[in-house]
Amino acid sequence: MFRTEMMEVNMGPQHPSTHGVLRLALTLDGETVVDVKPIIGYLHRGVEKLCEHKIYVMVPPICDRLDYVGSASQNLGYIQAVEKLAGIEVPERARYIRTIIAELNRLASHLVWLGTHGLDIGAMTVFFYCLRDREHILDLFEAFCGARLTTNMFRVGGILDDLPAGWVEGCRRFIDMMPPRIEEYEGLLTNNRIWLERTKGVGVISAQDAVSWGVTGPMLRASGVAYDIRKTEPYAAYDQMEFDVPTRPEGDTYARYLVRLEEMRQSLRIIRQGLDRLPAGEIRAPKLKTRMKAPAGEVYHEIEGPRGVQGFYLVSNGGETPYRCHFRAPSFVNLAAIGVMSRGGLVADIVAVIGTIDIVLGDCDR
Amino acid sequence: MSDQVIQNVIIPAAKVGLLLAVMGGLVAYLTLLERKILGFMQLRLAPRRVGPRGLLQPIADGIKLLIKEDVVPDGADRGLFLLAPILSIIPAFAALAVLPFASTPFELFGYEVTPYITDVNIGVLYVLSITSLGVYGIILGGWASNSKYSLLGALRSAAQMVSYEVPLGLSIIGVLMLAGTASMVGIVEAQRSSAWWFLVPQAVGLFCYFVSAVAETNRLPFDLPEAEAELVAGYQTEYAGMKFAFFMMAEYVNMIVVASIATTLWLGGWMRPFPNVEALAFLDWLNWAHPALSGLFWFSVKVLLILYIYIWLRGTFPRYRYDQLMRLGWKWLLPLSLANILITGLVLVWRNP
Amino acid sequence: MSRAMALVRSIIPIEMLQGMLITLKNQFRPHVTMEYPKETPDLAPRFRGVPRLRWDPESGEELCVGCLLCEQICPDNCISIVVDKRPSGKGKYPKSFVIDYERCCFCGLCVDPCPTKPITAIYMSHDYELSDYTRVQFITGKDRLYDGHPLKKYER
Repeated sequence: MFRTEMMEVNMGPQHPSTHGVLRLALTLDGETVVDVKPIIGYLHRGVEKLCEHKIYVMVPPICDRLDYVGSASQNLGYIQAVEKLAGIEVPERARYIRTIIAELNRLASHLVWLGTHGLDIGAMTVFFYCLRDREHILDLFEAFCGARLTTNMFRVGGILDDLPAGWVEGCRRFIDMMPPRIEEYEGLLTNNRIWLERTKGVGVISAQDAVSWGVTGPMLRASGVAYDIRKTEPYAAYDQMEFDVPTRPEGDTYARYLVRLEEMRQSLRIIRQGLDRLPAGEIRAPKLKTRMKAPAGEVYHEIEGPRGVQGFYLVSNGGETPYRCHFRAPSFVNLAAIGVMSRGGLVADIVAVIGTIDIVLGDCDR
Repeated sequence: MSDQVIQNVIIPAAKVGLLLAVMGGLVAYLTLLERKILGFMQLRLAPRRVGPRGLLQPIADGIKLLIKEDVVPDGADRGLFLLAPILSIIPAFAALAVLPFASTPFELFGYEVTPYITDVNIGVLYVLSITSLGVYGIILGGWASNSKYSLLGALRSAAQMVSYEVPLGLSIIGVLMLAGTASMVGIVEAQRSSAWWFLVPQAVGLFCYFVSAVAETNRLPFDLPEAEAELVAGYQTEYAGMKFAFFMMAEYVNMIVVASIATTLWLGGWMRPFPNVEALAFLDWLNWAHPALSGLFWFSVKVLLILYIYIWLRGTFPRYRYDQLMRLGWKWLLPLSLANILITGLVLVWRNP
Repeated sequence: MSRAMALVRSIIPIEMLQGMLITLKNQFRPHVTMEYPKETPDLAPRFRGVPRLRWDPESGEELCVGCLLCEQICPDNCISIVVDKRPSGKGKYPKSFVIDYERCCFCGLCVDPCPTKPITAIYMSHDYELSDYTRVQFITGKDRLYDGHPLKKYER
């Protein structure tokens, strides 16, 4: 007697909560999501091909612009891949500073995630508090390298320059200031019943599914798999740091929220250790040529970025430029699992899921 | 012109005109107040470029909306599309007619003028029925825009406003039972004997009313019909210019209306705190001018307080999901307000058997 | 008993009141906004604005020796240099030195290999207010690389 139709809704690319230019083709049955198809590529810039025409030292500024929220860790991953390829040893001090910066960057990225995730679910104020605190991290970056967002502060064989005077003290002030601030965000969200209802049991992904979809980072750990490159294959100075890998068994949005908040605390712990043990010495490997050549071969290097495993695959034929360059983007891989996570939910859950995946479209589209 | 005409036509018409003008300004400045308070909560500065400390911002907004292009989307139902904003703003303003802002009549050119438009003996029912008409504007607006986001928003708001109408109406009943009248002025007068008006005996009722009222006016945490993170702007997605401004004004007038109703029914309307304690009569400090002014003062203070809580909620909470909103309405607020009625009735019977 | 407590807690939203207290408290904290055109930020000494050239602070001569390293390392190819023999005799100097500010991405790589240590000829200046009415204005020659980009105010 009655005929009902599915409704096709195009969410994005101009939509307030798709975090950039993501387009989702939704099939809705009333408010229930029947199918969701992410359509990406609106921010594709052909970076991988571009890198084949750049000498090795030119690429880091381009890497910065992939995942612009976690640019320092992108940078670090690429630089370490080149160092692995060319067999360059990095001085101890540089490795410590890299670790500190990477963790600061993880903190900054998680702050942006928390703010935008809260904003998606309607908690507007958290966004401003998070960005207020992120500002301190960006100030530290500016004092160290001169730029705030696309930092480009690591160099092949070391870092750009030594820490400026007073930087360590400033960083200490920041990590002392941060724990009460995290308490504040938690006071606004963690126990709030609306937040609980909006996140608990929403966007569930089982450990099995997460592994088969290649999901990494906090999303994988919130499904109960304690996989962290910083522990399994330590790079920089992570092997000398003590930290925990937080996991939760539930695999829902709330679990991911708790895991990321705990990661922020662990980051503070790592930074504190790094500052305490910061060794003196050189910050750059002995003079390298600007137009350096890497021996022929290939290398794949992974680091634990704020969003998940960031892989850098470089092939060299012995020349000045990489022969082939491939970046494994965690946003791209994690986004693929959106279907599993949001089918059967409501429209409002899609927004929560996008927020919890923590995509950066620059990273996703490359 | 006979006295009759002046008393029954001219004076009410003048009062309506004055109220409309004042409300228009109040609504504009309520938007500024909201932005300011939200700004301070979020460590921002809020608008402060137009005029001293941003005080002319609402006027600039108004001018901007007035001179904007009036877009009617392709495939929209033109007539309904134009009608919808009007349908949503008229009930909002109409509800103001029975709100008693103060009580004592004053003399003007030899005529006695009451400081409210009218007092009907079914005032509460009138307000309930008129405000529930507002949902038509939203539904028609969402339907007529021929946009999926608008449609989803309209459907959500239809369900939400119809569901929350029930606990809203039931939460008022306790007050009506205590007051024994449905006239707004009568209800306020009935609160004169108690120190905290009906706030203490009917606290549960006020809680239910407040939550349902937030939902009725589509404010965060219940702003699903216009949830900007999901539905772009819900039923207003396709509206621009003055038509959008009408929706916006309707929302803010509704906020003022529900806050005024809460003030009248629970917070003693125009009365000062402790209206039964003679020693505190100095709180009516505006009495030297006219008792009506003092009443207006206390009324505005209470309304502003409630509006502040509204904005405060918006600054703090995330948004409910559609099904959770329905659950809250039917499973928590409805039983709670029914229990309130039952207990109020029992207490009344126990006191005066 | 605990179930009764849980019920009470589920009816009375204590945790929500805590959240409201946080926003209430924050209302009285100082704001963090910077009203940009009125106030300008304090830049860190290492702040990276647009790259510019500088003179030798002692002799007042051109520092740049025309080694072309910055041109080679620039990932955006925005530097183009024409080198000539110095009129004074020894060494080379850039006869023309052009940076296209429209392409520059402020990465600071050009400063890295500059051989005139410790005062590099090319350096990241503190200029960041770059705006103009035409694109041609951003193709910056030697004169403006030394003197800085003129600050254009909005006029109409």
